Amino acid sequence: MRLRRLWRPTPLKRHYDVIIIGGGVHGLATAYYLSRDFGITDVAVLESQYLGFGGSGRNTAIVRANQRTPENVRLYDEGLKLWRVLTDELDFNLMFFNCGSLLLGHSEASVGAFRMAASTHNFMGVHSELLDPRQCAEVIPGLDISDRPAFPIHAGLYHPPGGIVRHDAVVWGLAKGAAAHGVHIHQGCEVRGIDTDRGRVTGVRTSLGDIGCNRLGIMAGGYSSAIAAMLGIELPIHPLTIQAMVTHPLKPFLHHVFSSTAYHVYANQTLKGEIATGAHMDPQVNYTTDATAYYLKHQAEALVDLMPALRGVRFMRIWAGLADMTPDMAPIMEGHLGYDGLFLDAGWGYFGFKSGPVAGKYMAEYMATGERPEILEAFQLKRFLENRYSGETAAVMKYGHWD
Amino acid sequence: MTFRLTCPVCGKRDVYEFTFGGQDRGPRPAQEGLSAEEHFRWVQFRMIPGGWEGGEGGGVREGDRAAPQEEWWYHGQGCGVWFRTTRDPGTNREVEGGGGG
Amino acid sequence: MVADAGAKTGGGLADRGSPDPSVGRPDCRRPPSHGRLPEGRLPPGPTCRVDLSQPLEFSFLGRPVTGFAGDTVASALYASGVRIFGRSLKYHRPRGLYSMEGESSNTLMAIDKVPNECAETTELKAGMSVRAQNVRGDPQTDRFAFIDRFDRMMPAGFYYRLFHRPYRLWPLFQNGLRRMAGTGVLDPRRGLEEGIRGEGGIRVEGGIEVEGARMGSDVRAERYLNAEVAIVGGGAAGMSAALAAAERGLRVCLFERRPWLGGHLVWRVRDFEGEPLHRRAEKLAVRLRAAENVKVFTSSPVTGVWGENLVTGFTSGAEGDLFRECHWECRAKTVVVAAGCMERPLVFNHNDRPGVMQVGAVWRLARTYAVLPGGVAIFSVGDDLSLEAAADLADLGVKIRAVADAREAVRQDAALVTALEERGIPVLAGWAASRVMGRKQVKGCELGALKGEASRRFGCDLVVANAGMQPRIGALATVGARLAYCGHTHTYQPVELPGGVFAAGSMTGLRDPRAIEASGRLAGERAVESCGGSAPGPDESLPEPAPGCDIRHGPDIGRGAKAFVDFDEDGTYKNVVESAAQGFDVPELAKRFGGFGLGPGQYRVAGQNLAMIMADLRGDPVETATPTTVRPPLVPPSLATLAGPGHDVHKRTPLHGELAARGAIFRRAGPWLRPRYFSEDTSCRKEIRNVRRNVGILDSSPLGKFRIFGPDALKALQRVYISDMRKAPRGHCKYSAMCNDMGQLVDDGVVIREGENEYYFTTSSGRAGSTVEWFRYHTRYDRWDYNLVNLTDVLGSLNIAGPNARRVLERVTDDEVSNEVLPYLGCRRITVADGVEARCLRLGFVGELSFELHVPSSYCQFVWDLVVEAGADFGIRPFGLEAQYCLRAEKGHVIIGAESEARVTLTDIGMGWLWDCGDTAAKKVGAPALRACEKQPGRMRLVGFRVDEGSGSPRDGAVVVDGAKIVGYVCTTRRSEALGWQYGMAMVREGVAVRGGRTHIRQEETPGRGESCSATVVPTPFYDPGGRRLRA
Repeated sequence: MRLRRLWRPTPLKRHYDVIIIGGGVHGLATAYYLSRDFGITDVAVLESQYLGFGGSGRNTAIVRANQRTPENVRLYDEGLKLWRVLTDELDFNLMFFNCGSLLLGHSEASVGAFRMAASTHNFMGVHSELLDPRQCAEVIPGLDISDRPAFPIHAGLYHPPGGIVRHDAVVWGLAKGAAAHGVHIHQGCEVRGIDTDRGRVTGVRTSLGDIGCNRLGIMAGGYSSAIAAMLGIELPIHPLTIQAMVTHPLKPFLHHVFSSTAYHVYANQTLKGEIATGAHMDPQVNYTTDATAYYLKHQAEALVDLMPALRGVRFMRIWAGLADMTPDMAPIMEGHLGYDGLFLDAGWGYFGFKSGPVAGKYMAEYMATGERPEILEAFQLKRFLENRYSGETAAVMKYGHWD
Repeated sequence: MTFRLTCPVCGKRDVYEFTFGGQDRGPRPAQEGLSAEEHFRWVQFRMIPGGWEGGEGGGVREGDRAAPQEEWWYHGQGCGVWFRTTRDPGTNREVEGGGGG
Repeated sequence: MVADAGAKTGGGLADRGSPDPSVGRPDCRRPPSHGRLPEGRLPPGPTCRVDLSQPLEFSFLGRPVTGFAGDTVASALYASGVRIFGRSLKYHRPRGLYSMEGESSNTLMAIDKVPNECAETTELKAGMSVRAQNVRGDPQTDRFAFIDRFDRMMPAGFYYRLFHRPYRLWPLFQNGLRRMAGTGVLDPRRGLEEGIRGEGGIRVEGGIEVEGARMGSDVRAERYLNAEVAIVGGGAAGMSAALAAAERGLRVCLFERRPWLGGHLVWRVRDFEGEPLHRRAEKLAVRLRAAENVKVFTSSPVTGVWGENLVTGFTSGAEGDLFRECHWECRAKTVVVAAGCMERPLVFNHNDRPGVMQVGAVWRLARTYAVLPGGVAIFSVGDDLSLEAAADLADLGVKIRAVADAREAVRQDAALVTALEERGIPVLAGWAASRVMGRKQVKGCELGALKGEASRRFGCDLVVANAGMQPRIGALATVGARLAYCGHTHTYQPVELPGGVFAAGSMTGLRDPRAIEASGRLAGERAVESCGGSAPGPDESLPEPAPGCDIRHGPDIGRGAKAFVDFDEDGTYKNVVESAAQGFDVPELAKRFGGFGLGPGQYRVAGQNLAMIMADLRGDPVETATPTTVRPPLVPPSLATLAGPGHDVHKRTPLHGELAARGAIFRRAGPWLRPRYFSEDTSCRKEIRNVRRNVGILDSSPLGKFRIFGPDALKALQRVYISDMRKAPRGHCKYSAMCNDMGQLVDDGVVIREGENEYYFTTSSGRAGSTVEWFRYHTRYDRWDYNLVNLTDVLGSLNIAGPNARRVLERVTDDEVSNEVLPYLGCRRITVADGVEARCLRLGFVGELSFELHVPSSYCQFVWDLVVEAGADFGIRPFGLEAQYCLRAEKGHVIIGAESEARVTLTDIGMGWLWDCGDTAAKKVGAPALRACEKQPGRMRLVGFRVDEGSGSPRDGAVVVDGAKIVGYVCTTRRSEALGWQYGMAMVREGVAVRGGRTHIRQEETPGRGESCSATVVPTPFYDPGGRRLRA
């Protein structure tokens, strides 16, 4: 097998038509589609660390389309169908493991919520099923469906089209594809400021010098609000630390993704055999990626309550990443944000990985044409100024969306 | 990373004893003449300057360090007091002497 | 001040496993009982920890094996002749003992059906059943061993380039890959069948056991410690630090991962200053155990040092302990990290063959476990300690044919070289192992000069290899120390430490025992200084850190296709080269692309080697080599131990026992356990009918109950409630709601003015816990003078509801409760029986005549008994939450969360009438949002509907559709016996929300099996729209 670099090192030019801040799934996907579908190849992706440093390389790789509202289901469903397409297009195996996912409900109320979700999905042609506890245990042997757990299982929402994707492969594959179409990828290039002139974006100041541009995309995941702050732009986005961990590798026994609302847990078994599992997040805004002893312990409590067989399993590694949370758990995809030529694709919170390619596809269209694609109508910033939440979460917030 | 906050009543306690109350934005604006947009900006829109120190696997980052911010915290698993303190989102630590507001 | 003062000998946690406290070690010099040395064993020496007079029977692959008390599983297996402990992940290569520290997956085994147990460090117990992992058939003849020949087809990242063309074949490949992956086997049903989940459990608090332990069960305990100095590592440096701090009166906790103190001194017999090194360690241990203020935790690996010096780890229970493992967390003012070193693996061809071991493993097999590690050995090392080991092992009878030392001759300890030469062992300076011969175990070894072409081959059955020492940097890295490559020691050394953190001992590069102890003392004194004590005295003059070894890999590495950088995922030198060639030329990228340091060994095995090799490949100076990020846990804890004895906390009402006796089926409601049903009939027909026609009783104790008083109480109420509280008359329940800043409903309840600046109010049970927080948050700038008291747990609440409610109530009180004295929404204090003071609220949540009695919790049972007895003639019966849910829904009363959500405001759900827009000066929470959205088009609204007869029977969550669009969903719907039809409430887009409009409802729980029905939008309440029954 001949080994070649997946993307060529390229000289840093002093001006690009399009600059994208963030070498993660969203930024690379946008660059890929800009170059492939719109012939815009004078594009640079700037990554302050290394490709996939942020959320793209830190998530638990779960993909699914069982969102709550039709606007979101539609977008994620299209995204879910892209893994196979991209594997072919990029000639890079993204390792989509279409194992299906099971969301567990732990109350009578969750049954209604799941029925609402299943009815919405199936009406839209997205496969979902409402399961009773016994069926849940058939799908995932080892779940304790008795009354013993603190939160007994009442129902499941089974979603066969979901699964897991090798997250790093997506980053590398998109980098390969974008580079093949002429996109420049610059790692270790940290943006420190943004230049504007008479209401237009004109370039960025970076650790490697100033670079001019006509259009600028902020797609920096958890760091997006920090980038926006360089222009004094306030956003309803809070960067929060979210943690994940893996156990020692085991022979396959968990054949689906499962997650639980009451326990704030999601778990899947990677192709390598580890149980990759994530927890909820600390509420205070911050830009660190520090893990905590607290969550290691709480995650263990939750997992052994749900699946007692995991008691003897050991956690091998815990890490953290940033999630850019919005009040309604839906993203902000916006063009000409305060300045001509300034585009923002952020606020994905928990869902930044699964949405990456499809968001890139439509952001590319938006950046190329200047016209907002119809599918992105629901994700405008102004909804927060009009108090029109997307409904992706039903939960009512307390003081702010961090709680 | 686990850190502690200084409750003005109870002293330094683990952060998990507290509820986060957000950036200090000053008192509730007067309702008269407040536009809907102003209100919702006041409620939800924040500027959180970035910068993060000691990026993993890379060198130490310089410049554009996050600015420590004044915040509200509630000692729910303690004395039940809301208090102001200063914390740096870049380090996720209370700034020395920040407690007790 | 110590959280568990006095627990030094209690709970079995401290000072474990030391029948002979002077040496922390049982007397193991007894000869075997039958007088003959068991096969594979050496005569026990002064440092031996195995008792050869106490055999332990266990099984390996179902075959009986004998070990001895004090063995680890690995030492016993090795002594019995086992060399192949498992097979590697990718190539299924045979793997054996390597470090005796559990640093890689090589010796992870299934012990008593628990996968991935570390055989190298797990203490042997009689009756254990041990199995090899990742093996098809016998580990000797593993059926997948052939894969080893196909490495050319598997370059780094090969799986990204294969298997996806054509795509339809990918699932096949994927399932094949999946089956090949993973090591341990877990039966997911295990815990369910055997019931091994944490029954019982203890928590030690302040030295007191909180819950009784059950001996023999799988008890996991937890402990929370405080210390002024926490010490990571119980070697000479750690002990010296502890003594220095303790002598100055500080409280010290010392954590040591091995079962004994002394670090690497405990198996060294070399004379130093007139006594063997192990004696030196033992003396320190004796002093330490006698010291005041020191708690010593052995068998206690540290899993991480976290922010602000939180040290976590776990302790393995020993004989006599009441737990199997105990998780602990120690909040320390200062931390001394004296974690010692591990050996840096030497990368050379076939460096993973069973029989290739690190020096410490071989040395400890011989000296600690009395096991003969091999007959003929070759050493390829890079540190003086290894030279000492070679001489010692030669004295124990291992024939050492040569010692290659990767360092130049000038860097070696000349005395040690002489000692080896005196024993006839050639020392080859500037040489290292280049390859190992033998397929299943070592048969020979080739040594080569690092400069030049010279090489020599030796026959041997043991290759002892390392690339020098590397510090155990984990604790320093996780606490946030900045580490940099040190060109002298060729290790990563801290260049900046967080506040209160100090490093000491051999990890700082020191090798001289006196220097190690002195560095410990200094660290201890620095900790004292940092805790406010005086500064340490002048530095003792210490020997400098010894120069280290910078070898990257063995000579003549070639492609390095079987020169392993990472054992866990079979990451080879070749794979590093391939990763770099594909653009993954920094360690963090290569780690992910090629799979280095992602397995059980984490950064420990691969970290430094990967960084150094990558620097070479890039042509960068080695000083720039950046290792991959260290991530906790530093030692993997089991989920059971982390989870602890169980922390499920729920509240029970004063009537819990009574309700349970009456057949209540409980559900969690917020923090409470509450009766949902009183029979298996989840439609609750009988409960509902009894309330509608007769009288029912509900335990509503979780209802939030508060008293607010003080000069500014009214201001606070005006702020958080959306209605005008100035208008709350005395003796009257004013119903109102609280909103958040988005105008969303967060709570509802009644407010009663009870006096001048004195109010009593109720909240929904789910909000009771956060009401005080909420009031104080929204008045935090105002410096208002009011007191808010949460009475929720102090007062119980009984709801008597139904047409006969008054007649029941009249039988238990002499006070007047007529419609005139106590009308609908009235409130008065009454006396129940002869002396129980109660607040009696006349409310109508369920739509019938009803009284809510708020009585002290301690009287709840008494009042309940009275009421139930009084109501017996009327057929009073308890009803639960589901019945209440249906009864109120028939009235169109909203429950937060059921008929409200984040997209809708108070106005949207039809409760806008509560909003008082007059008092803008009060700055009511939610008022600006309500004003903004009041007339906004296109919002969602809550509407009532009636399912068209015969068209179907939708359930909660069915969606409302308009053509091809989903326009809403059903919040709640039930068939009502009282109404005779199915009613419901739905959240729908404006436009559907037109009275009299027809809607289409569809539910599809399973694809293809959808049901549709039609419904008509109707006004609420559905039941008793005029509210006559409430006012009866």
